[in-house]
Amino acid sequence: MAAASSAHLFGLGDAQMQMQMQPPLPQHQHQQAAAPPPPNPAAPAPKKKRNQPGNPTDPDAEVIALSPKTLLATNRFVCEVCNKGFQREQNLQLHRRGHNLPWKLKQKNPKETRRRVYLCPEPTCVHHDPSRALGDLTGIKKHYCRKHGEKKWKCDKCNKRYAVQSDWKAHSKTCGTREHRCDCGTLFSRRDSFITHRAFCDALAQESARMPPIGAGMYGTGGMALGLSGMVASHQLQSFQDPAHSSATTTIGSNPAAQFEHLMQSSTGSPAFRGAQPTSSSSSPFYLGGAEDGHQSQASHTSLLHGNKQAYHGLMQLPEQHQPGSNDGLLNLGFFSGGSGGQDSRLVFPDQFNGAVGGNVRGDGSEHGNSGANNESAAIFSGNLMGNQMASGAGFSSSLYNSSETVAPPQMSATALLQKAAQMGATMSSGNVNSLLRGLGNGGSTLNGRPAGAGGFMAGESSSSRSTSQAENESQFRDLMNSLAASGSGAGTAFSGGFPGMDDSKLSTRDFLGVGGGVMRSMGGAAGLPLRHGAAGIGMGSLDPEMK
Amino acid sequence: MVQDEGSSSSVTSSPLHNFSTMPLHASPGGAAAPWLARELRSDERGLCLIHLLLNCAAAAGAGRLDAANAALEHIASLASPDGDAMQRVAAAFAEALARRALRAWPGLCRALLLPRAGPTPAELAAARRHFLDLCPFLRLAGAVANQSVLEAMESEKIVHVVDLGGADATQWLELLHLLAARPEGPPHLRLTAVHEHRDVLTQTAMALTKEAERLDVPFQFNPVVSRLEALDAESLRVKTGEALAVTSSLQLHCLLASDDDSSGKDGCHHHHQSSKGKGGDTNKRQRSPESGVSPSTSRADTFLGALWGLSPKVVVVTEQEASHNAAPLTERFVEALNYYAALFDCLESAAPRGSVERARVERWLLGEEVKNIVACDGTDRRERHERLDRWAARMEGAGFARVPLSYYALLQARRAAQGLGCDGFKVREEKAAFFLCWQDRAIFSVSAWRGRRFD
Repeated sequence: MAAASSAHLFGLGDAQMQMQMQPPLPQHQHQQAAAPPPPNPAAPAPKKKRNQPGNPTDPDAEVIALSPKTLLATNRFVCEVCNKGFQREQNLQLHRRGHNLPWKLKQKNPKETRRRVYLCPEPTCVHHDPSRALGDLTGIKKHYCRKHGEKKWKCDKCNKRYAVQSDWKAHSKTCGTREHRCDCGTLFSRRDSFITHRAFCDALAQESARMPPIGAGMYGTGGMALGLSGMVASHQLQSFQDPAHSSATTTIGSNPAAQFEHLMQSSTGSPAFRGAQPTSSSSSPFYLGGAEDGHQSQASHTSLLHGNKQAYHGLMQLPEQHQPGSNDGLLNLGFFSGGSGGQDSRLVFPDQFNGAVGGNVRGDGSEHGNSGANNESAAIFSGNLMGNQMASGAGFSSSLYNSSETVAPPQMSATALLQKAAQMGATMSSGNVNSLLRGLGNGGSTLNGRPAGAGGFMAGESSSSRSTSQAENESQFRDLMNSLAASGSGAGTAFSGGFPGMDDSKLSTRDFLGVGGGVMRSMGGAAGLPLRHGAAGIGMGSLDPEMK
Repeated sequence: MVQDEGSSSSVTSSPLHNFSTMPLHASPGGAAAPWLARELRSDERGLCLIHLLLNCAAAAGAGRLDAANAALEHIASLASPDGDAMQRVAAAFAEALARRALRAWPGLCRALLLPRAGPTPAELAAARRHFLDLCPFLRLAGAVANQSVLEAMESEKIVHVVDLGGADATQWLELLHLLAARPEGPPHLRLTAVHEHRDVLTQTAMALTKEAERLDVPFQFNPVVSRLEALDAESLRVKTGEALAVTSSLQLHCLLASDDDSSGKDGCHHHHQSSKGKGGDTNKRQRSPESGVSPSTSRADTFLGALWGLSPKVVVVTEQEASHNAAPLTERFVEALNYYAALFDCLESAAPRGSVERARVERWLLGEEVKNIVACDGTDRRERHERLDRWAARMEGAGFARVPLSYYALLQARRAAQGLGCDGFKVREEKAAFFLCWQDRAIFSVSAWRGRRFD
């Protein structure tokens, strides 16, 4: 009986006894090391109904427990002459031939040999139980290495580690070969998980696309609701975020409105991001916390993702504002449910309006930078309108965010100005300054190649095709300056209005404010010098590192 | 004073010439933009400044100093180092252009002790610290570097990190924490730091050894006092076969300085040494966007080759993501204008206008960089920023293979960027490298490389 013999094996642990009890010993000698006494396998199968060892194939299978040393040993058969190790007895015998030693190749007798099953020596392992024994020696070796062994092999492309060399080799072959990348930037090696994610990710994208019009009206309450539910949801986050930010000294936002403070998880009491002088010597968890924090956060991100779906949806649309195109969905959801601000911390933006003394200016500056330079931000800012109203301090805000393109913002960021200048250069078709501006728009690198109209940038050669006379240039310049000076109230009308004095119909819609051409008065038929680029600000060739 | 630039009577007159003469008619030495009827709004003023700056750059690049002077006069009346972002940018660039124009008169330069009017090392260090605090880019980059080192050194018992400079002590403190928190326990860490000034190294050493003792991490600090150009790989004392990590934060671009001689312009203080066989190609180089690289033997390539010879496990390179190494001034100027506009914008949103720290960063750090880019040439011009693709080509040419920055590091960096509470800082991942961006404008790039394969 398998049970009986097994009982002998384990109960006694005596090599002699074991040898005697198993007359038909095959050639393989295996050391029956003293495994820790396992539960009596003769007892009926444990609660879960499991096959007996060897079942369904062989209820008489011999259960063998090997020690870790044995399992990991690679060469168990050693030649006594030269001490060369072999994994198999047969190989050793063949080797012995070379030493002119007596050798004997014994073959397994299929009738006499018994099937063997093996146990994992690790007591905590499932396979330590004889009813869960594994049937293959190689299999148990690999299992032990994989689960209980040290991972010595590392893939050099990604960071996966392996304890078994064959696993590592197999992985290296496929690592990086077939990858799926979602629009949100997440990378998958498996097609099925990719598809699953993408379905989920799309859902987010659609909801966020629908977001701004709704959210605009709901911010006032939405924010508060977010704040409250964010608190609730953030408990889960706090466990891993707090250590990460526990002594964040440097860069947490400085003007948190009350309702946002907890959301930002700046548990150190909002050290000012602007202008404050944090001590740089303190250990800054800005550096992303400890490794274990990170690991925890990884795990809890996933759990948050699923666990907080309720909260997430319950948090109205505020968290869904983020544009998936630039996020990793997982991270954002985690953050949104924790309420600590999404991809661009839009949640936090109103803080800057509540802002301190110079807050107006600063908020403006960055806002403008955003609106000028960032399509998605512009869309979001229109949704952020309510945030501004919450802030209730920033006077410019509403006009600012109605549409970043129709109102001349009082404080534009330098980047936005450069873009506007490039657009001006694109639409204005004459004059030296225009060619320079166009050069600015082209980032200079292509300017040299431009046809005649651009000349004059590099070396001040005449832009012959444009300027016809000296006087015209002078007047153009004067008009330019005058027009800039003469602008009255906002809107592009000022700019456009200043230009009638400039030369004739060459000038098309002057889009000084990046309105998008044609909104203001279109001055004469001109040239469709098409507006080069939109608010995305690619006008500066050098702004976009991909553009060369 | 009206000067005839010559050929003013030709039909196709130089517009810049007109530009230069016209305002002089209108306003002899006027104060505040006298041709304007009224005070400009800030955006109008900004646009004016841009026009003027470009004109001035074109003039300076062509050697027409009077035109440049006229433009500078107007710029000076509109720009101010204490104004809004555009004004500050304009002030910095105007100063740089003025210095450049002055190069035509070496006597003036030397009498004014011009190249030495920069900040003292202490001031520079302070400015760097403020920059770290106000704008998190370099901190993020340092964090990414630490994470890369940590990942590469998994299960290593002895880790040797070589810092080619630029990294703040806080980055290493954080690395100590990360290593101490490793599940398998901290390795023995050797840190070799290369820096020009010994006292900086000593201070760093003290801070780090104290922290390492507190954390119970076996730690050893080796200072190497040397400029990067003169660095001898032997002095790094890398043991064969040890696990080596190299980090470089905004240092490698200085190595490009001895590559090309100035493109036809004379440096007024240093004569460019060797033209490395490219001397006569001024015309061609003016055409190519970035012509600072000789294909084979440039100092940077030699250095990288030596680095490769050390067989590092990982090399993390942080560089400015901009092409500031073009030979013609105007290209560099436009690129730099866009780049530093973004940085100044970032500072604008990071600190109030009266902030001393911000002023220091703008003047002693960014302003100096701008001056170097615009007003210097040859070996003087050390701020030779190049974009990542060019650095990648260099690294690959030296034998390095790219190591993709892990997704986990990206998550961490993004989380940190979002935690700042200021919209605008973004981390973009592309081709396994990170770009730290302000409002979609990439400011710094971080990439990781490895030497020989490790199994």
